[in-house]
Amino acid sequence: MSNIDRRSLVKGSLAAMMAGAAVSRGAFAQSSEPILLGVSGPLTGPNAQYGTQWKQGFDLALDEIMAAGGINGRKLAYQFEDSQSDPRQSVAIAQKFVSDPRIVMELGDFSSPASMAASPIYQRGGLVQFGFTNSHPDFTKGGDFMWSTSVSQADEQPLLAAYAVKRLGLKKLAVLHLNTDWGRTSRDYFVKAAKEYGAEVAVTEGYIAEERDFRSTLVRVRDASPDGLILISYYSDGALIARQARQVGLKQVICAASSVYSPKFLELGGEAVEDVHLGTRYFPEDPRPEVKKFITGFKAKYGGQEPDAFNAYSYDAMNMAAAVVKIGGTDRRAVRDAFAKVKDVSSVIFGSATFDVESRRVKGAMNAELVVRKGQFALWDGKPT
Amino acid sequence: MSSWLDYTINGLIVGNVYALVAVGLALIFGVSRLINFAQGSIYLVGAYIGWVAVVQLHTPLPLTIIVVAVAAALVGLIIERFGLRPLQNSVRIAPLLATIGISFVLDQLVMLTFSPNPRALPSQLPDVRFQVGGGTIGPLDLLIAGVGLTSALLLFVFLRYSKLGWAVRATAQDRDAAMQMGVDVNRVNQAVFGIAAALGGVSGMLVGMYYNQIDTAMSLQATLKGVVAEVVGGAGNVPGAVIGSLLLGLVESYGVAVFGTSYRNLFAFLLLVVVLVLRPNGLFASARQAPPEPLTGTFIAPSRPVRIPRWALLAAAAIFAVLPFFPVSFYVLQTLINAWLLGMLALSLTLVAGTIGQVSLGHAALLAIGAYTSALLSLTLSVPVGLSIIGGGLMCAALGTALISPSFRLRGHYVSIATLAIGEIVSLVILNWESVTRGPIGISGIPPLSLFGYDLISPTSIYWFSFTVMVVLALLQGRLLTSHLGRSFRAIRDDDIAARAYGLSLNRYKSLAFIFGGFAAGVSGGIAAHLYSYINHETFNTQQSILALTVVILGGLGNVVGAMLGAVALVGLPEVFRIAAEYRILIYGIVLLLLVRFRPQGLLGTL
Repeated sequence: MSNIDRRSLVKGSLAAMMAGAAVSRGAFAQSSEPILLGVSGPLTGPNAQYGTQWKQGFDLALDEIMAAGGINGRKLAYQFEDSQSDPRQSVAIAQKFVSDPRIVMELGDFSSPASMAASPIYQRGGLVQFGFTNSHPDFTKGGDFMWSTSVSQADEQPLLAAYAVKRLGLKKLAVLHLNTDWGRTSRDYFVKAAKEYGAEVAVTEGYIAEERDFRSTLVRVRDASPDGLILISYYSDGALIARQARQVGLKQVICAASSVYSPKFLELGGEAVEDVHLGTRYFPEDPRPEVKKFITGFKAKYGGQEPDAFNAYSYDAMNMAAAVVKIGGTDRRAVRDAFAKVKDVSSVIFGSATFDVESRRVKGAMNAELVVRKGQFALWDGKPT
Repeated sequence: MSSWLDYTINGLIVGNVYALVAVGLALIFGVSRLINFAQGSIYLVGAYIGWVAVVQLHTPLPLTIIVVAVAAALVGLIIERFGLRPLQNSVRIAPLLATIGISFVLDQLVMLTFSPNPRALPSQLPDVRFQVGGGTIGPLDLLIAGVGLTSALLLFVFLRYSKLGWAVRATAQDRDAAMQMGVDVNRVNQAVFGIAAALGGVSGMLVGMYYNQIDTAMSLQATLKGVVAEVVGGAGNVPGAVIGSLLLGLVESYGVAVFGTSYRNLFAFLLLVVVLVLRPNGLFASARQAPPEPLTGTFIAPSRPVRIPRWALLAAAAIFAVLPFFPVSFYVLQTLINAWLLGMLALSLTLVAGTIGQVSLGHAALLAIGAYTSALLSLTLSVPVGLSIIGGGLMCAALGTALISPSFRLRGHYVSIATLAIGEIVSLVILNWESVTRGPIGISGIPPLSLFGYDLISPTSIYWFSFTVMVVLALLQGRLLTSHLGRSFRAIRDDDIAARAYGLSLNRYKSLAFIFGGFAAGVSGGIAAHLYSYINHETFNTQQSILALTVVILGGLGNVVGAMLGAVALVGLPEVFRIAAEYRILIYGIVLLLLVRFRPQGLLGTL
């Protein structure tokens, strides 16, 4: 258990509440205490699964950071507060973290409404909000304390479009997307890129996150007679769509965004996801050392479980946070300035990550073109399916 | 044209799935006049028991069905015995709240036991597909249809021809008379809950197999769609629930066909509102049927409210007003800001639900209207923030009242269901009306709160601002309640026929209540928009509506001080329970159940 003891945390936060905001922020320097990061994310509620995946990635990264000697000899730990992805709770958590002098940086939240509602409080309170899954184009516009390693959809979607149109030779596409800020932004970038590469987008359909039944949507897709289906989905809804598409007899090539990259996609989709193509940021047999280390470490820690995209995001985020704190120390402003200084941090998603100071995001995500073969993700061999 | 055949078949297939939940809901409503919000949770429990049986114990399908049915029935019996029976002599609204609390507890228990990750639940039927029209159907489709129709038929025969069935119907018609005739009402209730739960559990398992996917978020969606289908068919009418479900499936499917996927649920909820307005008892209720709600106001029973002396209220207000001068952390202030915002919403709801008896389950929609109006006014028309919030309140008062007015002729539970649907419709319109609301991208960069040109950005100033607004609204509402208007509102709640006989125009008074309530909710939403700086269609969701109702019932229906106290309690408790991490919502649910058990009339009593 790499997280710090909960009881001491409780005592600490009570003490912090008593002491209030008046306490000066640099007042703690005992090196026996760990450097503390605040995490705001869903552990209960409809998005709870993503919060638990974050934890797995964080804990693995912390094990490795500790094994390598910690942060200049000090321990690194995080305090995870459950927001249920609810803006009402994420703003309260934001005040809690801002007024707790032990917190040097915040990570999260998961959904855009919860994250961006808290941004003004972090900005005014002078605490970095490091949103590592926040792809909303306006997230980092909240202020100079908002930083993100979320892969910009302006980067990712053209890669997927190139895979579908240039490599797989699809000419007429049906795009199914999650009707959230992420799905909508992604769809717009994808459609733009696909048209540039010469494909026609015959139909786009947005569905809400709770949707389970796609049969009628797939009739619309069939009537548009596309030669490929594009899924801008998470793994659970992606698997549902693939299954139902095959059940109603649609045999077109399916090409999906990297967010379906999870062993759960294979488990939930079964035979229906065979031959599904997907663009990802890394793949199981990836020769890059940081990926090998991540995958072997993850499997060893979690009983052979394969990591997925959200595990990778949170693992990368914790490593990035450690690199930033190594430079910036425990002063909150110095931590913010350190984001602009970190260079070439080893990353599963980016290979090596350096922030673009202007947009406060990282550009140039890695790209791998995968396909599901015999129930496993494999590098695409160039053969048509 | 063959596409239309496919849309029809798909609609029927999905309707099939909804029917399984709707039948259980209809059965319970038929007997205890209770919309069982825990039915979706039993469905969830059934799905996970099915997973244990299939994946861990490798049981064959018939045995799996029996295991799930028995286990789910046991859960149903426990709910009936310990959750609902102690409440049978208390106000009618208490069991409703209890089922909400039970669903929290069950959902959380499943989540803690099985983790929130979705799981695959493999179908145990052979994977053959039959070509029908342009699509295919499989053996599971047939099994689900078989289970739905058979259970509806069996229940119909049971209710009509068996002795226990007669007892069930007698209890449904008149509980006291049945008791006098020697019917063991508790046994009847037990039987009904057992059967409904067994059905709910099996349907969760079958639907899980159908999609090869189960997860802990499936419970609320199942309840929502089941309730819609049940009410469309005529609440309490078992065969009607099946037909209502099929109709709902068809409407959704045709909605997708004509307008596209993102309009799907919009049509489901529009169907509900249209049916309720045209045939308030559902499509298949016979005209001679006894009215589903008692004619007089036992839905909300008046109780002796706790009188709080004026000095105590003044002292409490003074303490909260000077709180920021004491060394309390911004976290505490922020939590209280949330409580004051929820308090304004609760004031609004306690007026329409408690004082005039229109229990609304779609109040978050009012927040959304206020928030979007204020945000758009300040962003696109550069209206100063203070004025834009008032604009949000006025817009909400006007639009909210207009939207809700079709449901004025409804009573009791039907008002709740209609408002639930209207709430969903508002959220879906926000999602789809992109030219105005910017759709799923949402509105970002909303300017911070300001007053007379001064930005209110420190937590202290936001605290004072929201506290003052809430207190002013509360004083106005208190004044309203003691005026003749307040007495007319309560007269309508307690006996609308008598009120009408005295010459009160029901619709006019209901409108007045919604105008005042809409304004308070709109202001709350407006402040929230400027506080958050970013809103989209998910910011104000169904959970918030349910939370608001919980606050109001907890505080005491119609009780102004109770609404504020309830808001502090229900914002504060989950924060206090943070220490318990993943367990906090479970604890919250249990505390809620205990409160309902021992204070069904609310902390401060109905006013």
